[in-house]
Amino acid sequence: MKAIDRRTFLWLSAALLARPLTARAGLWPFQEERHEISGEEDIRGAIFKNDAPKTLWKWHKEGFSYDKLEESRVMCNICPNRCMLAPGDRSVCRSKVNMDGTLYSLAYGNPCSVHIDPVEKKPLFHFKPQTTAFSIAATGCNFRCLNCQNWEISQVKPHEVRHYDMFPQQVVEKAREAGAASVAYTYSEATTYFEYMIDTARLAKEAGLANLWISNGFINKEPLLELCKVINAANVNLKSFSDAIYRKLNGGRLQPVLDTFKTLHEQGVHFEMTTLVVPGYIDNPEMIKEMCGWIVANLGPDHPLHFLRFFPHYKLTRLPPTPISTLEHFRKLAMSEGIRYVYLGNLPDHPGSNTYCHQCGKLLIERRGYQLPVNNIKGGLCRFCRTAIPGVWL
Amino acid sequence: MRYRPIKFSTSANNPGQGVSRVVIATGISSVVVQLVLVREFLAQFQGNEFTIALIFFSWLILGGIGSRLALLASRRQPADINRLAFCSLLLAALAVLEILAIRTLRDIIFLHGAEVGFYPTMASIFLFTAPYGIMNGFLLPYSLYVLRSRYPDYPGARIYLLDSLGDVSGGALFSFILVLWLTPLQAVFLANLPLLVAAVLLFSVKQRIRPLPILATATALALLLLGLLLEHQSLAPLEGQLVHYEESRYGRLTVHQDREQLTIFVDGAPIFSSHNQSLDEETIHFPLSQLARPRTILLIGAEGGMFKEVAKYQPDRVDYLEIDRKLTDIQLDYKLLTPIAGLRIIHQDGRAFLSSTDDRYDAIIINLPEPDTFQINRFYTSEFFRLALDHLQPGGIFSFSVAGFDNYLAEHVRLKISSLYHTAREHFQHVQLLPGNKIFFLCGSLPINTDIPELLRNKNIETSFISGYFSGNITEERLNYLRENLQPDTPANLDTSPFLLQVMFQQWFARFETTPTPFVIVSCLLLLVYLGRCRREELVLFSTGFVIMGSETLVIFIYQILFGYVYEQIGLLVTVFLAGLLPGAWLGERFRHSRNLRQRLLACDVCLMALMAILPLVLTSSGYTLPPLFFLLYGFAISMLCGCQFPLALTLGGGGNPAAARSFSADLIGAACGTLITSLLLIPFLGLIWGAAGLILVKGCGMLALAPRPAK
Repeated sequence: MKAIDRRTFLWLSAALLARPLTARAGLWPFQEERHEISGEEDIRGAIFKNDAPKTLWKWHKEGFSYDKLEESRVMCNICPNRCMLAPGDRSVCRSKVNMDGTLYSLAYGNPCSVHIDPVEKKPLFHFKPQTTAFSIAATGCNFRCLNCQNWEISQVKPHEVRHYDMFPQQVVEKAREAGAASVAYTYSEATTYFEYMIDTARLAKEAGLANLWISNGFINKEPLLELCKVINAANVNLKSFSDAIYRKLNGGRLQPVLDTFKTLHEQGVHFEMTTLVVPGYIDNPEMIKEMCGWIVANLGPDHPLHFLRFFPHYKLTRLPPTPISTLEHFRKLAMSEGIRYVYLGNLPDHPGSNTYCHQCGKLLIERRGYQLPVNNIKGGLCRFCRTAIPGVWL
Repeated sequence: MRYRPIKFSTSANNPGQGVSRVVIATGISSVVVQLVLVREFLAQFQGNEFTIALIFFSWLILGGIGSRLALLASRRQPADINRLAFCSLLLAALAVLEILAIRTLRDIIFLHGAEVGFYPTMASIFLFTAPYGIMNGFLLPYSLYVLRSRYPDYPGARIYLLDSLGDVSGGALFSFILVLWLTPLQAVFLANLPLLVAAVLLFSVKQRIRPLPILATATALALLLLGLLLEHQSLAPLEGQLVHYEESRYGRLTVHQDREQLTIFVDGAPIFSSHNQSLDEETIHFPLSQLARPRTILLIGAEGGMFKEVAKYQPDRVDYLEIDRKLTDIQLDYKLLTPIAGLRIIHQDGRAFLSSTDDRYDAIIINLPEPDTFQINRFYTSEFFRLALDHLQPGGIFSFSVAGFDNYLAEHVRLKISSLYHTAREHFQHVQLLPGNKIFFLCGSLPINTDIPELLRNKNIETSFISGYFSGNITEERLNYLRENLQPDTPANLDTSPFLLQVMFQQWFARFETTPTPFVIVSCLLLLVYLGRCRREELVLFSTGFVIMGSETLVIFIYQILFGYVYEQIGLLVTVFLAGLLPGAWLGERFRHSRNLRQRLLACDVCLMALMAILPLVLTSSGYTLPPLFFLLYGFAISMLCGCQFPLALTLGGGGNPAAARSFSADLIGAACGTLITSLLLIPFLGLIWGAAGLILVKGCGMLALAPRPAK
């Protein structure tokens, strides 16, 4: 390689120094690149080497789907991270360990969060409104979102939290006692406690309870197909429509999430999508337009889309909240692209949280927080024009 | 040749005068740049006690490294006055470059909008500060070597004295003039002009017209001027527009506009935004709904939207306390605060106000950031809660809030709320926690009703958020969860023993999945190696540097508790701590020819230890009712004793160039450790009294170095 001379070195150094300075000062011509040059390219998590416990504890279950490899290594097949674990290693999501060539989940029967929430809180606006969901979460997440609302349970290992002793049968019993219509697997990332979720969901289904999957959608097709057999509804985050932003803000990737939406759609599962509009990252109208176009083309117009207002949280604390007009603009944009039900969240008393019939345009459901003072859907039909409204209605 | 003072003439003829001017100008520049950098780092990184301590720590350590480098440089080549002039010009220019580099590279190296954890913050502070910090530390001993190349007996203590004079001038200039009227880069420009002039005057008349000195001077001046031009551009946000920028004495205030939304950022963190309905409603209605008819309300810190909610109760008087006048001016100018009937805006520290007024209120509502600095922690202590109780009408309500939980109460949050609960229970018969957007503490003498929507319905008060979301967010199940998780044995948070700071430190480290342990281990090892190589006199100076910065931190901590955060007074206190060094150094300089140097040094040590012991004793015996003058005199006395020790220890160490460099280093490294350990360990973990005892112990260890060596 040819060595650069002193003069070239000085010019290069000056150019390198001048670039950020001028970019920041608004003098650099490629303004749209400014966020792209900021920070790490990919914040995805790494495997925790030699981090597994010496012995298994009570709350464990053999992995639902994994491959046994040479030298007692295993590969978890639950999510696209496909963690390859040597004996004693712990997965990216922190919930799975390789114990002598067998993959175990350590998040089984030990939820750290158990609450009873309105189903609207998930948010699910087209699924049995005004019912409650018995909501559980064990620790772990396969992403590293910088704005995670539940980082204290998603970014820790199972033994690092206080937890309940609640195996699947007990979850179902508790949910019934609480009068809940459904069991929601939520708060952290449900995919990371897949074994616990699917066993509970099977029992809940048998007991006549619905199952709700609240997820980032970063899951492989095979386990998802199994899950689709038992879940009744899902709310899946579509965090952005840019793989670069997925890597930068979430430590994830876009395509597997898009594949999840396609699978859910093919399997006929009712699902709603949520996009948190982070200023400076996920507020590009062109990107949102492209995203909505993809949704309509691949999933159809009927799956509700929620745009949520961002507030500073966790590590992303130095950004302002999303301007309300940005959200309103995105709602219009999404509807003009053909999505029929677009909602705005984290905005109290905003008409963007109401449901309007896509056919006659009349107000079907007025939402005041979790209250529904007006509900004009009867038997799943618009009371005014008798059009079927997509969703699962009481 | 012995140094004799010479009457003023040009530096070329009289290097003594010229170098003295450079030393004083360097002192002025360094203090101003240091204070500007503190603001810059707080604005670009997280403004907690760790960041503040790290900035001072890095600054002082780098100064120590610079001092050592000066010794190495002088060994390689004899100290030269022209080189000193070039270095001084470089120092002046570096200040601007560093500030611009911090502003621009922060969002290149780290993700825009994201907070940065302990180690990246530490590395950034260290690296960004390094060029100026090292050069600054280099110049002081190097100036001495230049002088000694002409006057071999030139006393090192005189340089120390001149530097202290520059420091005092720089400190006073910044605290009482520059910060009030100028932006950071304007302040840096003005503070470095004397250095620029002093450096140019070091060149001989012939040298001054040569290309290299002209080029160097022009470049330094151009960079200083460039800073003035790029002040606003370098602060432009990446989303929206910067519609307002100013520096107040309390921090950097910027207003960003993104579409219709206005957000006020204080030190880089979004504080107030135009629409924050949920927080506005919860902060106001949770406490006020408890009262039949709230007539007088005190708000300590508030968002603009909160006043609209308060107005729904039609109170007779609303006192809004905000220490920063410029902040409320901005709120009013940008209509982020709409005045309501009966509103009185008071620009005073909350504690100082409550201590000085006899007014009583139906409700006192605190809306302040998390207690992660000494300054904010004062509003979450038992003593403050008592003060609030004393200013409540019978049946009145007091409320405050801290960041809470969404679905799981993490251990550090659990500790935080448990401590606050027990602290509040010491004074209030009823304390109710409500887990809203934050965890709200409602405290009063009457039982608290948790059915807020029902209370509001009864008062015909309409809300958007509470009426719709309360039932799903604050369920009986979640209230029970919170209640059951309160730990009974958690210590209360006291003024003199700020337990919450420990918890906040834990929380910060947990958020970034890291621990300070590697830093502590590496620092301890390096320190042990350093101390092992120190001479006896250097150990004394190390402990002296440690004690002066430690006691300054301690005194400012106590002062804020007793008198509130009164900017001018804190500035005066810092200045006094610098000013005491001057007469001290002068006195030490007079003593340095006496025979019993060791005894005099020992006497200073004993006096310092006695002063450190007196502080907690006097404080507790007076019931914390000492006048401000006491602290000023106390600070002056401490720094005078420390200043006196430098010339004595330097002379005892031989007084030569190596001794001078080592002495400057020991003093600076000791000061660095004193800042860090007192802020982050002694006060939060040991409290005031044991913290002072810790400083006595350090000084005692330093004193042991003076013990006579056993005869061989």
